[in-house]
Amino acid sequence: MSFKRKSLVVALTTGMSLLASGAASAEVLFWSTQAKPVEEAQAVREKVLAGFSGEVDFQPSDNGPWLTRVEAEAQAGEGKIGLLGSLHGNLISLSDNLSDLSDVNVDGVNSTFLELGKLGTDEQKYIPWMQATYIMAANKKALPFLPEGADINALSYDQLIEWSKNMAEETGSPKFGFPAGPKGLKHRFFQGYMYPSYTNSMVTKFRSAEAETAWNKFKELWSYTNPGSTNFSFMQEQLLTEEVWVVFDHTARVADAFNSRPDDFIAFPAPAGPTGRGFMPVVVGIAVPGTSPDMAASKELLSYLLQPSTQIETLKATNFFPVVDVELPADMPAAVQKSGAAIAAMSGSADANPGLLPVGLGDLGGKFNAVYVDAFERIVLAGQDVRTVLDDQADSLRKIMEEAGAPCWAPDAASDGACPVD
Amino acid sequence: MSEANRFGSGPVQSAGSWHKYFFTGAVVLLCLWVLVPIYLLLVNTFSSPEAVASYPKKAFPVVDTESLKFFMNYAGVGQALWNSIKVATVTMILSISAGAPAGYALSRFDFRGKDTFRVLVLMTRAFPLPLLALPLAVMYIRVGLDDSVLGLAFVHTTLALPFAVLITYSLFSGIPIELEEAAWTLGCNRFQAFMKVIFPLVLPGIAASAIFAFVISWNEVFAAAVLTIENRTLPAFLLQGLSDSPLHLKFAGGAVLVLPALLFIFMVRKYLFSMWGIANR
Repeated sequence: MSFKRKSLVVALTTGMSLLASGAASAEVLFWSTQAKPVEEAQAVREKVLAGFSGEVDFQPSDNGPWLTRVEAEAQAGEGKIGLLGSLHGNLISLSDNLSDLSDVNVDGVNSTFLELGKLGTDEQKYIPWMQATYIMAANKKALPFLPEGADINALSYDQLIEWSKNMAEETGSPKFGFPAGPKGLKHRFFQGYMYPSYTNSMVTKFRSAEAETAWNKFKELWSYTNPGSTNFSFMQEQLLTEEVWVVFDHTARVADAFNSRPDDFIAFPAPAGPTGRGFMPVVVGIAVPGTSPDMAASKELLSYLLQPSTQIETLKATNFFPVVDVELPADMPAAVQKSGAAIAAMSGSADANPGLLPVGLGDLGGKFNAVYVDAFERIVLAGQDVRTVLDDQADSLRKIMEEAGAPCWAPDAASDGACPVD
Repeated sequence: MSEANRFGSGPVQSAGSWHKYFFTGAVVLLCLWVLVPIYLLLVNTFSSPEAVASYPKKAFPVVDTESLKFFMNYAGVGQALWNSIKVATVTMILSISAGAPAGYALSRFDFRGKDTFRVLVLMTRAFPLPLLALPLAVMYIRVGLDDSVLGLAFVHTTLALPFAVLITYSLFSGIPIELEEAAWTLGCNRFQAFMKVIFPLVLPGIAASAIFAFVISWNEVFAAAVLTIENRTLPAFLLQGLSDSPLHLKFAGGAVLVLPALLFIFMVRKYLFSMWGIANR
């Protein structure tokens, strides 16, 4: 009896300790918010990271758990994560926990992005990993409805509105789609596309008369926009189901449409307004947390990711473009070829007006986005008076800029001290 | 035979048949409520990507296992599934071994603060996990429970415990104390009386609340995503990536997540019925 009980206890404790012991391994844990869709994650593991000399465990995760985990490791003072991969906006809030990467060889890496990666400090907090931007995509069925004389590669917002109107009236249902869903990236449209195109500013002229015009134009566009847009977050889905024909979205969020039916869809630059063709590049960075279990291995993996051949594989896997100078081979997937051409046309156009991602906002980035999203919801969805809403939201925006003390970034002219909101 | 016949003919009959239609309608509606999503999930899982995006849908699609094959070959799915089963099983054992005695105590003994305790036991569900996850993860890393099956099972047990306590409480309350007293008079001590008389009677109910714990653990994502990184559970491993994936993979991934749990519930369904008081056939 007592022997029986004893053996039971032994069995239980060994069972428990077996369960409790994690896999101890020398591999680098790559903790990323990017390449999260299962197909992309698979491609990153099998294609991008396969060539690395060491072992890598690539684990993509949602923003919430991603951030919580990194913060927990920083607070505990020890951790398992070797390399972080995330958007500029996420890495900003981790600035204090990131190791200085100044000693990593960054030859050929885009210098604007490298500067962004310093996060306003003297240290290289992150190194750009890949980039993307937002473009327009359309079903070829939409082309006959283009307004007369419109050049698809040099559209204006007025022409886009007319085009959407034509489609809505002639087909009987609105065919323009906009990612205004809960996970949609609508704020980037207002920050990096609408505002620069109408006001040549993202922050300073937030409540200007030009901004009022811009919002009224957007309201007009919205009246020919598929009302389901408040549920759309990845426009490739609605392109493929043909719920809508013309969309604005992130390159990686329309890629599946191009790749699955390359003959049916085209990509083209974002439209232009009175002050040029606003567009916004998106930067994804890689960083090493201060708690990395093996600093050397982490940096080795980081350098590997910057090699031109790895960057090309990354592009194929994720539809995010290289941040180093590379010659793209001819055999790229349809999405890469089409978006690549649209991006080139957009950034190379005579009226190109690039806006940067918010710089120096620290962890106020979320509140900054909320200003634009709230303005959209109040003006467009709730139908409130444009002037009143802009005045209200400008106050919030001013508070955020002053609290962060962030100087202006492109397209706003550089400022001494916090970027003013007129 | 049917309720309508018992009431005879005339206006009453029409009221009775109205009642019957309403009842049947409600049953059909509830069945559709559950079955239609599962049907759509399966149809789209076994369709080609083109068919998933097309509309209208065919009732019986041309079978295409491309999307499912993707998950079969997806690195780490098997390991994650195994981790999920381990965590859910440990959660099941822990929550029953802690919850059943608590339920028994609540039902058989009077003690100070009993009512407060019954409310407080629910409080563990009042705090959102994203709020608790950070301090919990810091503590886990410090004590070495981090990234382990046991550590995550502790969290899931906390989530499942209120249900285990309250379900077993009502089970024990449903069994007359006289049965136990009779056993005591016949020479059993308290423990023997429990094991020989009460336990066999509540076993199906205990099994049901164990299943409940299993399902709670199976479905939990946030804690799993923060507390396990190399030994991830299936939801933590798959669910986050699915929301951003193309439609056909969402469906197939959904099926991969749902089917094991469905299968498990199907296997143990008779215990569930006994929890709801439906006769065990």
